[in-house]
Order: sequence, then structure tokens, then C-alpha cells
Amino acid sequence: MQRRLANVNVWTVAAIAIIAALFLPNLTIVTGLLTPSNENWEHMKEFVLWSFVKNSVILVVATAVSTIIIGLSLAWLIAQYQFPFRRFLKWALILPLSIPPFIGAYTYHGIVNYTGVIQTTLREHFGMALNPAHFDIMNLPGAIFIYTIFLFPYVYTISQVFLSQQSASLIESTRLLGKGAWRTFFQVVVPISRISIIAGASLVVLEVLNDYGVVKYYGIQTFTTAIFQTWFGLGDLETSIKLAASLMGFVIVILLIEKILRGRRQYSYSSTKVRPLPLIQLTGWKAFAAAGYGFAILGLGFFIPVAQLIDWTILTFGTIPLDDFMAYMRNSIFVAGFSAAAIIIFALIVGNFARLVQGRLAKLLPKLTVLGYSIPGAVIAVAVVTAFVALDEFLAPLYRMAGMNTTLVLSVSILLLITAYIIRFFAIGFSSIETGYDKIGTDFQDASRLLGAGLTRTFFKVDMPLMKGAIISGFILVFIDVLKEIPLTLILRPFNFDTLSTKAFQYASDEKIMEASQASLLIVGISALAIVIFYKFLEKEMD
Amino acid sequence: MFVSIENLSFSYPNTRVPALDNFSLQIEKGEVISILGRSGSGKSTVLRLLAGLEKPSNGKIAIQDQVLVDDRNFVQPEKRGIGMVFQDYALFPHLTVADNILFGLFRLKKAAKQKRLQEVLELVELQGYAKRYPHQLSGGQQQRVAIARALAPNPYLLLLDEPFSNLDAELQEKIRKELRDILKKANITSIFVTHDEKDAHILADRIVKIRNGRTNFIGRPCDLLDVYRNEKQSIPSVSEDKELLYT
Repeated sequence: MQRRLANVNVWTVAAIAIIAALFLPNLTIVTGLLTPSNENWEHMKEFVLWSFVKNSVILVVATAVSTIIIGLSLAWLIAQYQFPFRRFLKWALILPLSIPPFIGAYTYHGIVNYTGVIQTTLREHFGMALNPAHFDIMNLPGAIFIYTIFLFPYVYTISQVFLSQQSASLIESTRLLGKGAWRTFFQVVVPISRISIIAGASLVVLEVLNDYGVVKYYGIQTFTTAIFQTWFGLGDLETSIKLAASLMGFVIVILLIEKILRGRRQYSYSSTKVRPLPLIQLTGWKAFAAAGYGFAILGLGFFIPVAQLIDWTILTFGTIPLDDFMAYMRNSIFVAGFSAAAIIIFALIVGNFARLVQGRLAKLLPKLTVLGYSIPGAVIAVAVVTAFVALDEFLAPLYRMAGMNTTLVLSVSILLLITAYIIRFFAIGFSSIETGYDKIGTDFQDASRLLGAGLTRTFFKVDMPLMKGAIISGFILVFIDVLKEIPLTLILRPFNFDTLSTKAFQYASDEKIMEASQASLLIVGISALAIVIFYKFLEKEMD
Repeated sequence: MFVSIENLSFSYPNTRVPALDNFSLQIEKGEVISILGRSGSGKSTVLRLLAGLEKPSNGKIAIQDQVLVDDRNFVQPEKRGIGMVFQDYALFPHLTVADNILFGLFRLKKAAKQKRLQEVLELVELQGYAKRYPHQLSGGQQQRVAIARALAPNPYLLLLDEPFSNLDAELQEKIRKELRDILKKANITSIFVTHDEKDAHILADRIVKIRNGRTNFIGRPCDLLDVYRNEKQSIPSVSEDKELLYT
């Protein structure tokens, strides 16, 4: 803890307070473990727990591998080569992130099912006799496909930013040593981008573990669906907390693996002068193949589902009043923007603390906040409600003094939902901010301090401007995630407060797929717009 | 004594061998000191301890009888009045040359700031470059900006970390002389670390040799030559001080 601890002050206090607040909900689960197990739990342990584990593991491993293959290969193409439509693909490949997996899941089901566009066309125009079983997407491989195609941008964006900012000399020297493009990729690019691959893939893994919409819709049993079923179906919160604890054990193992893979390496630049990578021009079939690959992925992850949603929206337009939709949209934008801003501010404080302290224990503290991302929304919901009710009880005398005749103020407010979002999505913003801090290293900070600027001044004058990219990308990622969020919003929203995603989910689970398309399209539209704005801003920054 | 360093020791976390062991040095005002040693010898650690970027496990540093660090006190780096030129300069990439230099002058009035800016730009002969960004400058120019930036707030002491390592050989020769002129003109007490004996001989009033965290010589450049002559090892052997051979 030696190195810089003497330099830490207000920042330490603020950071530890934030970490504690974000970490508290985890404790409810640990206490849940201590209660004696009941017959439901014994039954589950004996008969079904193993299949949950198996399904979750298969989903996680397969999705992680396939998102890494797709995400990293695209990142490398974009960072290293020049080919037609490269500039477009560079930002457009983030667009699949704007489609929540549950929306993608029901859209693809709609596309490939018996009455969907593929089977209808083949039957009616080509007169083919089809076996519907070949078109079944509602199974494990189908879910892996859905997760991969909509979550790969997590790996892609982080790796692409990392590779584009790599010092050119590193890559060039490999080439000069006579290594071909493939060997450069496997022997240099993959090892040096290890950190960004792991960062991206662990986001994917956590998303998958936490997902409720896709597996519920496709009827796959995982930890998350089991938690919901035992809680709402059996009304057995204790057992669902035990399941949640098992899930958390799982996540802790993953985080440990990440830790080991990252190793002890501090990965800031060896030099503060970084020359960008010059692009290599691709010609002929190679250029065609590169662009084709990019467009194929983009088509599957964005254009095809969006086209289907637009089609359905046109078919059902006018069945739902427009005013209602404007209200849902305002609600969505408000909660997402507010939570994202709060998360980024907290992440900047905790991230600054994380790089200032040394020592194993202190380094571990910020990691605790990431756990929030691993807890299923439903469990965070219970924890936050419990905490807010307790807070209201504590503040009750104050309410009476203010002349209010209720004791429930905070726990019925929108603050409840926003707090839950912050706990849930902190990891997303923090990951981006942490990478940003790692990138700028500590040299600029040291220089600033030796020029008489204290920590706070240094933060605003040096760290913030240098981190602009990381701040904006973190904000956008959180914003989109909140927009798409399902279980927390359903449980914690104030009375009569609907967002686009709660509406879309309600329609889809009622099998009103076409009606769900309108709200879904708006979610996708807003997210996509946010991504475009984000990209344009970032591009201007880099010039 | 102007700068007084007594029995300074330091270990990096998770290591057994101290990076610096009982280091002591007294420096007079206006002196140029060179700390000479191989990489990993602990020479850069001395600078980081002086700057307050690391906290020593033991020992005391004082400038003009004001204690910067000892068992009880620790003055934050921003309060020490010490300037530093980093090995890779660490010029703020988002600020122009002028803004880089003005960064440390935020407590001055506007007119005073501009005056000081012109003074240091003149000192390092970069008057026409105020509006440029660091990446638009050559390596030598970047270094001079870094020196100007460090000198602008009038520090008691200037630290330079391997000032020539990032420059090509031809430029090194020229910059050595320039740097000597700048330091003398500014009349500033300074310490620079280097692995290059030639740098030390040309620039320094006194040389401190460090090996494995321990001082093994302090004296004038010419004395160091005497030491070698007496020990009948005109040049240190290859296996021990490889880098010194290249001078």
C-alpha cells in the first residue's frame, strides 16, 4: 500500500464510500446462504441444479469464444487494413449493440418460424416441402447465435480502440522481421490485445449470465430463469437467493480467471509518444472479402432484424397511441441518461483511487464493484428495496416534520430504480474508465503534480481531457444498457411508469410480437442514434 | 547545504532487495549533479524520491533546511517546488507548447504569466513555437519544451531523468552543450541521472555513481578518472558495466 497512499485524500474517502454502497447488496446474498436450506433447495440440488450449471456453462463458453473470434478479427481488419466501406463499417459494427438480445431473439424467431418470411418464401415461391424442425431456433445453439451476433461489439469496440492506438512500431517491427499477416495476427496482435480481449469477453460473459429475456423466451433453463421461477413461481425467495449465491460463485471464478490472465502486468504505454498505425491497402478479392465479411456480420446483427421490425411496425402502425410512446421514450431517455452520468462520475472517482493505491488488498477493492454486474437484476431489486425501506424508516421523523403523512418516500420514488441501475451497470462504465486510466498511465499525472497542481486540479486539467474518449464511450455503453434493461425496470419502476423496454417485453411475452416491434424499434433507434453521435464526436476528437 | 539527503532507503513492494540503500548526498546551490549508473541501479529512484512520487522507507530529504520527507513528514509533490524533466518528457498532448509551459504558472497574474512564458521560451530558444502542439515538434524541441515547462515556476531544484536517451547520437552532442548553457544561464541547482559517462563528464560539477542501490563514488569528474587509474581498470569490465563501454 506504500507507493502513493500518502498522496491520497478526499479521493480515498469518496472512492471507498462509493465502493461500499455498490457492494452492500452483495451481502444480502451472503446472509441468504446462512439460512438453513429448505426442501425446494434440496430438491433442486438433487435433480435440476446440474442442468442449470451445464446450460449456463455451455452458453457462456460458446458465446465467449465466438464473440472473441468475430470481435477480434473485425477489430484487426479495421485497425490494420484499408478496404471499401472501412470507415462506414468501423462505427456501424457497433450497431448490433443497439438491439437488446431479447428483441433479437423474438425477431429471429419470427423470421425463421413457420409463418416467418424464410419458410413462407421457400414454400410459396419455390414450392419446397420443408421440415420445420430444421428451422427451429429456440434451442441452445439458437441462443448462442443470438448472444454472439448482438454482443460481439463488446469485444470489437474495446479491441479496435486498443489496436488503433497501438504503437505502430510494434506491429511494423514484426512485419519487418518477416512475419506474414497471419503470423503477425496470432503471434503479436492476439497476445498484446489480451487485456482488451479479456475485458470485452468478460462483459459478454456477464451479460449472458445475467440475461433473462432470451433464455426465458427460448425456454432454456439457466441460473437466471431458475431464480425467477423459484422467486415468483414458488414464492421461495430463500432458495432463489441460494441460487443467486451459486451464480455469484460462478462469476467470482470467472473474475479470478480474468485476474490471472491479466497477470501482474501494468499495461500503460512504454512511451508517451504514440504513432498511429498506418493502414495497409487491400486490393482485389481480399478487399472484397474483407468488406463482405464485415457486411455479413452487420447484416445478421443489425440490418436483417431491423428490416423485420420495420416491416412489423408498418403492419401494426396506429394500433398504439403515439402520445403514449412519446412518454415511454422520455422516461427511457431520462433514466438512462441520469444513471449513465452518475455511473461515469463514480467510475472516475473509483478508477482514480484504483490507480493511486498500490497493494493487493487496495487493488482488490474496486473489483468488488464489478460484482454488481454479476448479480441478477431480480436479486439487486430485493436488496435495493430492503435498503430503501430501511432508509425511509430512518428518515420518517424528518418526513413528519415536513408535514408529510406517509413514511414511504424514497422507496416509491424513481431514485429506487436509478440506484438499482447504478449498482447493476457500474461495471460497464468502470471498465471503460479503467481502460482509459491504464492508457494514459501515471506519467502525465506525475508531471502535473510536479508543476504544482494538486490531485483535484490534475484530475480536471489533465486526466479528464485525456480521458474524453473513455468517458464518452463509457457513457454510451451504460446508456444503451439501461435502455434495454428488463427485470429491474419491471420490478422497481414507480406506479404507472413505463419505459420502452418494459412495453416491448410485455407485448412480446404476450406473443404480440408485431405490437412489440414498435417499442423495440424505438429502443433500437435511440440506441443506434446514440452510437452515431458517439462515433462522430470521437472522430472529431481524434483529428 | 542547499539540498540535503540523508540515509535514504527504498524498496519496491513485493521485493526483498532494496532499490536504494542508505543513500546520502549534500548539494550546494547552483551545482549540477550527475547520478551515474546502469539501468536498475536505483538511480531513477533517487529522483522519484526527491520529487515525492515515492515515499522512502527510511531517511530524510531537506531543501534549505525545510524538511520534505522524514519519519514524520511527507510534503506532497505539488508543494515541493521541484521541477522534473521526464525521460519521455510527458508533455500534455492536448495542450500547446505555451499551455504546457503555463500549466505550472496558474497562481500568477495574467501579465506575469505571459512575461514568464516569454522568458523561458527565449531561454530554450523556441519563441516561434508557442502555438504548436507537442506532436508537431522534433524530439530535441520536445525536450526543450519539457525543460522550459519544468523551469517556468522557478523550482528550487531541477531533476532530469535520462535527458539524452530519447535523442539520436548526433543530436545528443548538440543538446548536451545546449543543456549545459541553459542550466548555467538559469543558474539552477540540478540533478540528472544517466547511464552515459560522457554526459556526466561534460555536464556535471560532481558525479555520484550508484550500483545496486548503493553509492560507490562521489566526486568531481576528474576524480572519477583518478579512481579508475588507481584501480588500474581504465574502463570497467564488460560484464559489469556494459553500458559504460559504449561511451
